[in-house]
Amino acid sequence: MNMLEIDDLHVTVDGKEILKGITLSIPAGEVHAIMGPNGSGKSTLSYTLAGRDGYEVTGGHMYYNGEDLGALLPEQRAAKGVFLALQYPVEIPGVATLTFLKTALNAQRRARGETELDALRTLKLVRQKATALNINEDMLRRPLNAGFSGGEKKRLEILQMALFEPKLAILDETDSGLDIDALKLVAEGVNALRAPSRAMLVITHYQRLLSYIVPDRVHVLAKGRIVKSGGADLALELEESGYERVVEVA
Amino acid sequence: MSALALKTHPPGMFELDFARHAASLPGAGLAWLDARRRVAIAAFGKTGLPTRRVEAWKYTDLANALEGDLEPVSHFGGAVDIANVFGSKPVDEVVLAHGLVRHIEVSGGLEVADLGLLDEKSPAWIRDNLGMLAASADQPLGAASLALMRGGVAVRVQGAQTLHLQFSNPALGHGAVSNSRVLIVVEQGASLRLLESHSGEPGRQRLANLGVELVLNANAKLEHIRLQSDDANALHVTTIGASLARDAEYRALFAAMGARLSRVDMNLKLASEGARATLHNIAVLNGGIADITTVMDHAAPHTTSRQLFKSVVGGDGRAVTQGRVAVRKGAVKSDSHQLFKALLLSPRAEADAKPELEIFADDVVCGHGTAIGALDADALFYLRARGIPEREAKGLLIRAFLAETMEGFADEAVQDALAARIDESLASLEQSES
Ligand SMILES: Nc1ncnc2c1ncn2[C@@H]1O[C@H](COP(=O)(O)OP(=O)(O)OP(=O)(O)O)[C@@H](O)[C@H]1O
Ligand SMILES: [Mg+2]
Repeated sequence: MNMLEIDDLHVTVDGKEILKGITLSIPAGEVHAIMGPNGSGKSTLSYTLAGRDGYEVTGGHMYYNGEDLGALLPEQRAAKGVFLALQYPVEIPGVATLTFLKTALNAQRRARGETELDALRTLKLVRQKATALNINEDMLRRPLNAGFSGGEKKRLEILQMALFEPKLAILDETDSGLDIDALKLVAEGVNALRAPSRAMLVITHYQRLLSYIVPDRVHVLAKGRIVKSGGADLALELEESGYERVVEVA
Repeated sequence: MSALALKTHPPGMFELDFARHAASLPGAGLAWLDARRRVAIAAFGKTGLPTRRVEAWKYTDLANALEGDLEPVSHFGGAVDIANVFGSKPVDEVVLAHGLVRHIEVSGGLEVADLGLLDEKSPAWIRDNLGMLAASADQPLGAASLALMRGGVAVRVQGAQTLHLQFSNPALGHGAVSNSRVLIVVEQGASLRLLESHSGEPGRQRLANLGVELVLNANAKLEHIRLQSDDANALHVTTIGASLARDAEYRALFAAMGARLSRVDMNLKLASEGARATLHNIAVLNGGIADITTVMDHAAPHTTSRQLFKSVVGGDGRAVTQGRVAVRKGAVKSDSHQLFKALLLSPRAEADAKPELEIFADDVVCGHGTAIGALDADALFYLRARGIPEREAKGLLIRAFLAETMEGFADEAVQDALAARIDESLASLEQSES
């Protein structure tokens, strides 16, 4: 069965149609990449999948394990295993990172009917995952993302992915702004989660990430539509020739 | 000249109360006090009960909020509910019901006097100070609280002390006004942590009219934590006059929740070099008006004031924050900052913020900022996308908004108690929103 099935999806933001009929299926166990020019609608697609207010589905459907995603609140989608690593993670001064991680983890567990973890267990779990991503204790004590560097914010997104162990992970340009070492760490984090029961949608501008996380399929999004799909080689081809030709040909 | 000769409006309840009862008020016959009361009622008479037409009250129409004349409370014999709102029971405590002292329990280091029992034996420190602050025409309700004072408490501090002033307002069968005063004198080098709480039972309309005088002598320290959580029908005005001598430090955290109308009207004078004042104010309201109006009077060089006011407003509530910083001639190297922020949680919620600067000295630093807005939609989405339900996410963001106001005040027990009160108040606020 397809883990994610998007069928002729139309999305309007502030009265403007941004997604104009997207059709895309990701079977369980696969990693798909989306590439495409700036402003083509990649982040819009990711926000719509995560359920952000103001992203109005005016046509088509999104199914997650056969369930209509559009009928679920963002927090319900998260509890069911949908995770979105944001292109621009939000700074929230006044909420300590560790407190946030614990609150989110336990909210998801509660929603799934699992027992909540106490402060000590959470801390142990977070520490263990953080070490693998080279995130130090000090960062965890600071307010959420406040004053974090671009790369630190992205690493914290991946830490959350590692902690929540989602079934469908959507990474929106998680590689942008990462140094080479961090890119490897992030790719390792993603690859560690690859499993027959999981699927991933990786949005990126760069072939470099895809040489670490080799995708099963690559899709090109332009002007709100998928204009081309292919294997991992398509990313290389795009890097060589740019989007213009692909978009024109379509 | 008779006090009433200054009047430009027909006598209201305060003037009539004074005309009828001046001779039977506590301490009547003490020449010094009679004189101060007469001056005070005349000062009050210059504006009378403030309406919107009085500039400093333009957002908070007290006269209009009154349902009718209220009867002064000069006696209360009913039961008083004593709750330890600040967590553990403090050693030293004064309980007042409708502004009248019910019970005083102090262990030493503090001199405490019941202002309802003033007589010729009252000590010099009371005579020297009572009514010298918070009683001028700029603070008309403060003037009325002195002129008509039925009770209250005077405290003199030596050494390092903690005191809980607990104001309780049990239900009454009639509309009522209580006029009371607090005088705190912190002697040179002494320090006080003052915990002040106000709570009320629902009932007929009540106006608590309190005048507070804070006298900080050289090197004195006063930490003032104040929680006003009155019932939804109550009117509450506290007028504060403070004077800080050389190197004195005042640090205050005020929280207002509940009450149909509440106002803190503070005039703080940094009277001598090195005096420092910090005032943080939290207002959480679901309806009604919470007003904080301050004057930071930099009257000497090298004085510092910091103000941070944060309001969370739901329903049809209105938060009013007015702050005037005045730097007098010669008060060089004055350093002041005020920041007013409000979070509006409903389309009918409102916040009025009015910062003002009056600078008559060179070489000063005066900053101010204002920010009024809704909850950050990006932040709310981020938390929800991580699995935190909307209601909980909003609570987290509101607490995050308020967090910095509480940092560094009192001890953990007091902070926790205050946070718990705020949470209670937020819970009712969120409920009415969804
Ligand atoms: N609130 C809005 N009102 C109108 N247009 C919007 C709004 N939000 C986004 N858009 C437009 O939608 C289009 C798609 O934006 P989106 O962020 O999805 O692009 P993207 O493919 O993620 O681009 P990038 O590669 O730069 O991240 C852009 O043209 C953008 O300006
Ligand atoms: Mg984008």
